[in-house]
Amino acid sequence: MLQANKFLIEEEKVFSGGLSCRGCGWALLVRHLASILGENTVYVVPASCFSIIAGPYPLNEIRGSVVHTVFAAAPATATGIRAALDRKGKKDATVAILAGDGGTFDIGFQSLSGAASRGENLLYVVNNNGAYMNTGIQTSTATPYGAVTTTNPQANFKKTFPKDLMGIIAAHNIPYAATCSLAFIEDYRRKIQKAKETKGFRLLMIDGPCPPGHKTDPAQSISIARLAVETKLFPLFEVEHQKYRINYFPKEKVPVERCLEKQGRFRHLFQDESRQALNEIQDYVDSYWEKLLKLEKLSFEE
Amino acid sequence: MNNVTTNDSLNTKTTSGKSYARHVQKILKGNYAAAEGAKLARAGFIPAYPITPQTTIVEELSNKVATKELDATYINMDSEHSVFAAAMGAAIAGERVFTATSGQGLFYAHEVLHAIAHFRLPVVICNVGRPSIPWNIWSDQTDSLAQRDTGWVQFYGESSQEVLDSIIQAYIISEELDLPVMVVLDAFYQSHTSENVWVPEQSLVDEFLPPKKLKGGEIDVDHPKAFGGLIAPDKYETFNYRYWVDINKVEDLANKVGEEFGKHFGRKYSAVEAYNITPETKLVLVTISSITSTARGLLPRYPEVGLLKLRLIKPFPKKSVLKALEPLSEDASIVTIERNFLGDKEGALMMEMKRALYGERNIKMYDVYTGLGGKDVPPRTIEKIIVKTLEAPEEISWIDLE
Ligand SMILES: Cc1ncc(C[n+]2csc(CCOP(=O)(O)OP(=O)(O)O)c2C)c(N)n1
Ligand code: SF4
Ligand SMILES: [Mg+2]
Repeated sequence: MLQANKFLIEEEKVFSGGLSCRGCGWALLVRHLASILGENTVYVVPASCFSIIAGPYPLNEIRGSVVHTVFAAAPATATGIRAALDRKGKKDATVAILAGDGGTFDIGFQSLSGAASRGENLLYVVNNNGAYMNTGIQTSTATPYGAVTTTNPQANFKKTFPKDLMGIIAAHNIPYAATCSLAFIEDYRRKIQKAKETKGFRLLMIDGPCPPGHKTDPAQSISIARLAVETKLFPLFEVEHQKYRINYFPKEKVPVERCLEKQGRFRHLFQDESRQALNEIQDYVDSYWEKLLKLEKLSFEE
Repeated sequence: MNNVTTNDSLNTKTTSGKSYARHVQKILKGNYAAAEGAKLARAGFIPAYPITPQTTIVEELSNKVATKELDATYINMDSEHSVFAAAMGAAIAGERVFTATSGQGLFYAHEVLHAIAHFRLPVVICNVGRPSIPWNIWSDQTDSLAQRDTGWVQFYGESSQEVLDSIIQAYIISEELDLPVMVVLDAFYQSHTSENVWVPEQSLVDEFLPPKKLKGGEIDVDHPKAFGGLIAPDKYETFNYRYWVDINKVEDLANKVGEEFGKHFGRKYSAVEAYNITPETKLVLVTISSITSTARGLLPRYPEVGLLKLRLIKPFPKKSVLKALEPLSEDASIVTIERNFLGDKEGALMMEMKRALYGERNIKMYDVYTGLGGKDVPPRTIEKIIVKTLEAPEEISWIDLE
C-alpha cells in the first residue's frame, strides 16, 4: 500500500523564504532531509550555495542546529562536533554534512576520506550539481563530460569524465552510500530514513538541479532529473559495505541526448562537429551501467 | 599593582633547591611537560596529526588516553587543517580542546586559525616552533610569529615548567574571554631537553581550573541555532569591535591569572619579566623563550645590561613593557633578538617594540637576527650582541652569519 508520507513532508522543518534560485536542488533536498532527520540534528555546512540558502546572520532556514564551516574541512568540523556531543551523552543526535560537489570531489576530498576511513558516525549529504555554482559555475571534477562552465567555455567544454565518487567512497567500506534523485522522492526518502538509522559513516549523493548553472528552465528541474535516471546518466543505487544494489531499472533504453538536449550547458554538443562527444558520453554511460550490473551480481551471488 | 618581576627575583627561575607542596618533582622533556599540562587541564577532545618536533606531545597524550589516565576523545586526523577544524567543531559544541603542532602544520592550519579566533572559541594549543621550506625542523619562531594576525593569544615559555604552568593559565584566560591561546615552546632546546619540572597534583589544578562552564553560546540540540552564517557589511565590524574589546583585556588578565597562579601554586607569572632595568642600565636585551635563559646567565657579568623577557606576545603587552622600561634612561639602548624571519627588514620583536614605544619613549633600538633555523645561540653570541650594541651598533645586524 502506498502511504502518502512516503512522498509528502508531514512536518515541515524548514522555514519559507530560503534564498535559493527557483528550481534549485538544494532547496528541495534539504526540505525532505530535514523533515526526516528532525530537529535533533546538527547540520555542518562548508562553503557552497547552501551557505547562502541556509540564511545570513542571524537567520536559520532549518529547524535544527547549523554550523557554517571552512570549505575544505566540513567532515573534520563534524568529527569534533560528533565527539563533543557523544561526550555529553547526545549520541542520538544526528550530525549531517551538507556539501556541494566542489566541497566533496575536490577541496574537501581528503577530509571526507579521513572521516569515512575513521568510521565517524556522520551522515554526509552531497548535492552534486556538477560545478562550483556559488562562485558562478566553474568546473569541478564532478562537472560532466561535455558541459560548458565559466572556466571551460565554448569549444573548451569539459573533456574528462567526473571521478567515480561512489566507487571511491564504497572502497572505504562504509556501511551505507546511495545515489538519490529528486524525481524519485519515495526512493530518496527511504534512503534518508535508512541513512538516519544506520550507524557509522553514511553518504547520500543527490543529483542537484541548478537552472542557472545547467541553463535549464526552472519548471523542468524535476523532469530533467527524471530523465537523468531514465537515461542512466545518474543511476540510482546503494552500496552497503561494498555490496551494490541497483534501485531502479529504466523500462526502456532512452538515449543520453534526451536529457542533455534540455540543458543549455550541453547545447554545443548538438552541432555537427562535436556530435562525437555525445557518442562518447553514451558509451561511458553504458559501460558504467554494465559495471553496476556486474557489481550487483558479484555482491549477491554466493 | 606591580606586574613586573624585579631584580631580586633574578634567581627564581631555577626551581632547584625549592620545593612546592602538593607537587611531584619530575625530570621531563618540554613536550612531556606540555602533555602533562594538557592532561592536568583535563582536555576532553584531542585531534592530532604528527609533525616533528611536536609529535611526542600528542603521542604522550594518546598514551594517557589509552591508559585511562586522561578521560578524553583522541582522534588521529588526516591533516592539521582537519585537526584545527575538528578542534573548532568540538569547541563550538562546548568541549575543552587541546592539540599541538609545529611549523608546516601551523602554516597549513592558517585558514582555520582565523575561523577559530573569530568564532570566539576557547581552544588551547601548543606550538613547537620551526620554520618553513627549505626543510628545517629546528628551533625558530617564524611559524607562530607569522600567525600573530590570526587573532590567537600567544605565550612563549622559557622553560618546561613555564610551558606546563602556562597551559593551565591559558585555559583560564581562553575560557574567560572566549579567545584561543597558543603556548609556544622552542624546538629541541625545550621540546626534547630534560629539565626538572614540578608537576602539580591533579586536585591542586582542579581547584584552580574548574571544569569548563557552558555559557549558552554552544551547540545545544535541544535549543537549535545557527553558527557562522554570512554577515552583511553593516554588521560585520560589530563582531570585530567586540573581539577588539576583549583582546584588549588579555594583558591585565594574563597578569592577574599569573599572580593568582603564584598564590595557588607558588610560581608567579606576568606578561613580561624585567631584570636589572635601572637608571644605570645602558642596554636592555629583549628576548623570548629559551634564549632568555642564556641571556640571564650573562647578567651577573654585565652589570650595565638588563633583560626584558616577553612572555605574552599577542596581544602585545604594551603597558607592562612601558612599566618595565620606566627606570631606563633615554640614552640607554634596546636590542631585540630575533629568532624569526618574516620577510622584512626587521624581525617581529623589533616591530612590536617600536609599536609599543612609539610616542612614549625615545630610546634607541637595534635589531639582531640570530639562531634562525635552530642555530645555537650560546652565551658567546649574546656577548657579541652586547659588545656590538654598546660599542658600534647597527640598526639591523646579523650575528654569527656563516
Ligand atoms: C578555501 C576556499 N576556497 C575557495 C572558496 C570559494 N568558494 C566558496 S563556495 C565555492 C563553490 C562551491 O561549490 P560546490 O561545493 O560545488 O557547491 P555549490 O555552490 O555548487 O552548491 C567556492 C569555490 C572558499 N570559500 N574557500
Ligand atoms: S546557483 Fe544553482 S545551486 Fe546555487 S542556489 Fe541557484 S539553483 Fe541552487
Ligand atoms: Mg556544485
